[in-house]
Amino acid sequence: MRVIVFTAPGCPWCTRAKNYLRERGISFKEVDISRNPSAARDLVRMTGQTGVPVIVINGKPVVGFNKPLIDRLLGLK
Amino acid sequence: MEFFIKKENEKKREYDALVIGAGPAGLTAAIYIARGRFSVLVFEKVIPGGLAATTHLIENYPGFPEGVEGEELGRLMEKQARNLGVEFAMEEVVDVELEGEKKRVKTRDGEYEGKAVVIATGSSHKKLGVPGEDKFTGKGVSYCATCDAPFYKDKKIAVVGCGNSGMQEGLYLLRFVRSIDFIEYFPYIPADRILQERVKKHENVKFHLNHQVLEIVGDERVEGVRVKKRDTGEEKVIEVDGVFIFAGLSPNTAFLNGKMELEDGYVVTDEFMRTSIPGVFACGDVRKKVLRQVATAVGDGAVCGASVVEYLEGR
Repeated sequence: MRVIVFTAPGCPWCTRAKNYLRERGISFKEVDISRNPSAARDLVRMTGQTGVPVIVINGKPVVGFNKPLIDRLLGLK
Repeated sequence: MEFFIKKENEKKREYDALVIGAGPAGLTAAIYIARGRFSVLVFEKVIPGGLAATTHLIENYPGFPEGVEGEELGRLMEKQARNLGVEFAMEEVVDVELEGEKKRVKTRDGEYEGKAVVIATGSSHKKLGVPGEDKFTGKGVSYCATCDAPFYKDKKIAVVGCGNSGMQEGLYLLRFVRSIDFIEYFPYIPADRILQERVKKHENVKFHLNHQVLEIVGDERVEGVRVKKRDTGEEKVIEVDGVFIFAGLSPNTAFLNGKMELEDGYVVTDEFMRTSIPGVFACGDVRKKVLRQVATAVGDGAVCGASVVEYLEGR
């Protein structure tokens, strides 16, 4: 399973998403878009939205902390 | 299917006090209640710190001479509460039963009982309610600078609202964007002068005072903001790539489902933070009051916590 979390500093839902994945024992890679402008551009192309967190689970992007969808993609429930 | 799974996992737990919201008000109340040696559970749907956690720098809360990041302040308050035995449920409250000796709080994941309930759900940045706003939310319209600023690197943006939030977040956005057009409904800038001075030092800012936002315009993406000058009625379109809105607050009281009397959506309390229902208290931004700051939230929380302790001691 490959999980990437796109975040920005001071974004509360990003922290919530990371805490949730940690609680569930899911390891992930974090990309801070404030330090990586090309990642921000990629996200807009990928999701059509200008917001984080975006959690990419096995190539599928989830915009925002959408717990039911995250759980489903992670196969948790 | 999902409904049945939730039913099976449903928890039922009892506490002396249930605090809804882990912003500065709720956490302070919880700290005071825990110090009175009563059990406390705090509900939070995002992270501790409340709306203040989205503020990149809080400079008007004493004790932090260089200012403190909102998220960091939330973390410190949470740690202090946990050290005293306060428990947390990272769950969103969806319904409450407040009448009677035992109060019930329902979340998406379970149900809890308490002898006292503290409503500290705070407020959120208000929507303008203009055409284009919903269509472009998350696609050019934002209510959180720290969350979305990196998407606007070298872009032209508008900030609606020149209160303390608009100016403070504007200063953060200026680290990323090419220029900011500030739009303010009133004919003056309501923010603290110290913030005005800092913003005005930047050459790439422009103010449109006494202007009302009529529409956020664009086809596929945000192309501008149509505004009207309030005294002359003259309209114009300010061309921007994104719009950040910090135009007042709206109380987070929808979960009360009409079970409590509200005034303009806010919970009314007396000076002891008691609501009209015995055993139910409220503190912080969710309360009907004049100034909504971390400092006043903490003050409310202290009074509220002391009142809850007194109430519980009398049970």
